[in-house]
Amino acid sequence: MMSVPFVLFACAIGAAWLRHRSLSVGFWLVGVTAMLVLFRVHVTEVLSIQL
Amino acid sequence: MSPELSKLLNALGLIAIGAVLTMAFIDQVWFGELPCPLCILQRAGLIAAGCGLMLNVVFGPKPSHYGIAIIGAVASAAISMRQVLQHIVPGTGFYGPPVWGMHLYTWAFLFAVAIVIGSGLMLLGDRQFSQMQSASGRLKGLPLIALLLFLVLTLANIFSTVALCGTGLCPEEPVDYELFHMND
Repeated sequence: MMSVPFVLFACAIGAAWLRHRSLSVGFWLVGVTAMLVLFRVHVTEVLSIQL
Repeated sequence: MSPELSKLLNALGLIAIGAVLTMAFIDQVWFGELPCPLCILQRAGLIAAGCGLMLNVVFGPKPSHYGIAIIGAVASAAISMRQVLQHIVPGTGFYGPPVWGMHLYTWAFLFAVAIVIGSGLMLLGDRQFSQMQSASGRLKGLPLIALLLFLVLTLANIFSTVALCGTGLCPEEPVDYELFHMND
């Protein structure tokens, strides 16, 4: 599951290589969204930065 | 700044991102420092930022491509900063040994900030956007090398992440590659 953003970014690079700009940006957008969702899933504990 | 110079600078930026990702792989493979989930997401963030530079290299410079690079870099910086804050209080430990005095997540944060500043500076060059770039021109030389390096490192990250985490989420502190122990 953690590899999903990388897969989507690889698809974005592939689409750009094949000169499909909109498709590439679309894959990038979904990739960033997947990355942020995984970030949220992994960060569950509250930060304790009181000195 | 001409579109050609802008393309070249974007290719150099892409190679710089490639160099950082390569160093992360050297740390992982050579020194055996397995990346934590946030470390993996920081790599993804750098690749997300690199996608903006890659679009500039392939399609010619556009403000929206720099926007993509900035959004990717800010996402990467946010993930790195979360990990910095996690260990900022004395006695809360750290992840991995320091490299040149700072931990890799601190370096990742600084590099992401550098991408934001670099993209901002590049946006100041209006003349790069004034000429229409032909999207049909074939890539060659440094831009082609930069693009291939970026693609190979992205594919390598897919393989590495699947090997490390299998098909699920990654363990908080990985000790071994999950893929090679699935039948244990």
